[in-house]
Amino acid sequence: MAVGAALSACGAGGDNPGYEYAPNMYHAVPYEPLKQIVDPEAGTAAEWLDANSDGHGEYYNSNPLNPYGMTMRVPPANTVPRTKGGYLPYRIPKDSLEVASATAKNPLPNTNAVLAEGQILYGRFCDHCHGGNGQGPDEGSVGEVFAGVPSYSSAAVKNATEGHIFHVITHGKGRMAAHASQIGVEDRWKIVRYVQKLQNQ
Amino acid sequence: MTQNRPLTRVFLAFTLAGSLLFTNISRAQEADQQNAAEGTQQGTEQAAPATDGGLPADDASISEGMSLFNSNCKSCHKIEGKLVGPALKDVHKRAPSIDWIVDFVHNSSKVIASGDAYANKIYEEYNKTQMTAFPTLSRQQILNILGYIKQETDALAAAPTTTAVPGDATGQGQGTDTGIPASYMNIIMIALVVVLLLILVVLILITTVLKKYINQKGELEEADKEIVDASFNINAVVKSKPFIFLVTFISAAIVFKVVIHNLYAVGIQQGYAPKQPIAFSHKLHAGQYEIDCNYCHTGVRKSKNANIPSPNICMNCHVAIKTESPEIQKIYAAIENDRPIEWVRIHNLPDLAYFNHAQHVEVGGIECQTCHGEVQEMEVVAQASLLTMGWCIDCHRKTDVNTKGNEYYDNLVELHNAEGKGALKVEDIGGLECSKCHY
Repeated sequence: MAVGAALSACGAGGDNPGYEYAPNMYHAVPYEPLKQIVDPEAGTAAEWLDANSDGHGEYYNSNPLNPYGMTMRVPPANTVPRTKGGYLPYRIPKDSLEVASATAKNPLPNTNAVLAEGQILYGRFCDHCHGGNGQGPDEGSVGEVFAGVPSYSSAAVKNATEGHIFHVITHGKGRMAAHASQIGVEDRWKIVRYVQKLQNQ
Repeated sequence: MTQNRPLTRVFLAFTLAGSLLFTNISRAQEADQQNAAEGTQQGTEQAAPATDGGLPADDASISEGMSLFNSNCKSCHKIEGKLVGPALKDVHKRAPSIDWIVDFVHNSSKVIASGDAYANKIYEEYNKTQMTAFPTLSRQQILNILGYIKQETDALAAAPTTTAVPGDATGQGQGTDTGIPASYMNIIMIALVVVLLLILVVLILITTVLKKYINQKGELEEADKEIVDASFNINAVVKSKPFIFLVTFISAAIVFKVVIHNLYAVGIQQGYAPKQPIAFSHKLHAGQYEIDCNYCHTGVRKSKNANIPSPNICMNCHVAIKTESPEIQKIYAAIENDRPIEWVRIHNLPDLAYFNHAQHVEVGGIECQTCHGEVQEMEVVAQASLLTMGWCIDCHRKTDVNTKGNEYYDNLVELHNAEGKGALKVEDIGGLECSKCHY
């Protein structure tokens, strides 16, 4: 019984992550994204297994060169991510909505395949505010509380061009925030196709 | 004591229902009186039409105004109370002129730029939020909307108290509704215990009565008498061999089970639910508000990790919602100080195993809930699955590969079908090979 009671502390639950069998095989030696052990003492008990003594515990894996010891870093300024479709970053600044409305053109064809993908993406990123049919505040579960969500078929936005829609998704407008960090360029153009379908329903 | 509980509850429910009924009746009476009083007030108000500036009042215009209002204005304006823009109650009396309203609706930025004092005052008051321009609305359409707003304003003024009563009543009603199943269970359980106790008492009574009766009759032989009067000898039972064997066997079995159970729990973090730096509720965001998992965990279809959202994604909504909450203030502080929020990682896969989210979610089409459990119902996220190798392998053996419309699998499917071993599972495309996950 005593053995059982002593062992019962091994399991996880609540704030306690429990014990591990072979922690030195569990913890990454290189810097891992989204996994950071900030305690320099972590794993000092396992030091005798480690040939190179680097002045901190075996499992400590924060990067001392980054702010707050972060293991992830923001990409250097002016670098361009390479994408499958060869899309370049959208460079029209936020305050130039008119320019975007007139000039930005959708590189994707208006096909059923693009529309279907646009609909899936719309469901992930737009639905909860704009509603499944783009009718605005009454439809979207979040839009109802957030307020200020227009219906796509209202007079103000019914005739918005594809460039306008893309610019608004990218930079936001009014109460809507910029969504460029969440949705890639190609996916945004797919959503534009679907939103245009909702405008004309 | 225990018997008292359901009774008091029933009593409480009665008094509650009674008091509710009473308040409803009295409130309805009050409202009637107020309505009568306001009716006379309205009469006097309508006698001064000068401020209304000839707004349309016929049904056709007002119903057109209503549909225009609902499709164009409602998302930012309410009749009463601020939303994004100001309340539109009495706007025709408040604004400088009807022409001013028409100009403002057509192009608000032009009116503000012209240096109009009233327009600039509103613009400043609403943190320089610009109203969307509606150049397509004709003057008559705007007048119709104003007519509808005026009618709604009057209707609101006439009935401010009556609307409050039904809300109150339904609120209370729901409260008692949800309590019923639990209290039923209580009553049933207590009744059961009482019945069992009664049976016990009755049985004891019967045996004593029977014993007395037999002893009084005195017609028993010695052997039978011993059985009737036999007293329960604890010492003899405890010292008997079968009893000792039984006790040692049961205790040994329990110890064995506990030890094995706990040893198997080493290295398994199922149920790990650490307190996070911000009390974020998935139940509220993903459950009640139905925000898609992909909206915040943007990497899940593109990379190895699903990603913990950065504060800018929180800000998409929280720039305007619940800005006063102390938990939300923590996000503002993080942004202001440019300091990352240190969330506690819950799912710690050992470094010796490789796992890729994009492969499982985008290609495999697996739902988040399959591994993470019903996250949309979790107030605090806990690890739902074992995350052991056996757990992975089990799924790889059972899961069919979706090969439809994917040319990559064409040859594999052909080869697999030639061997004729049923559906193509993950194990058939190398899902059990060591080096797929360990390298």
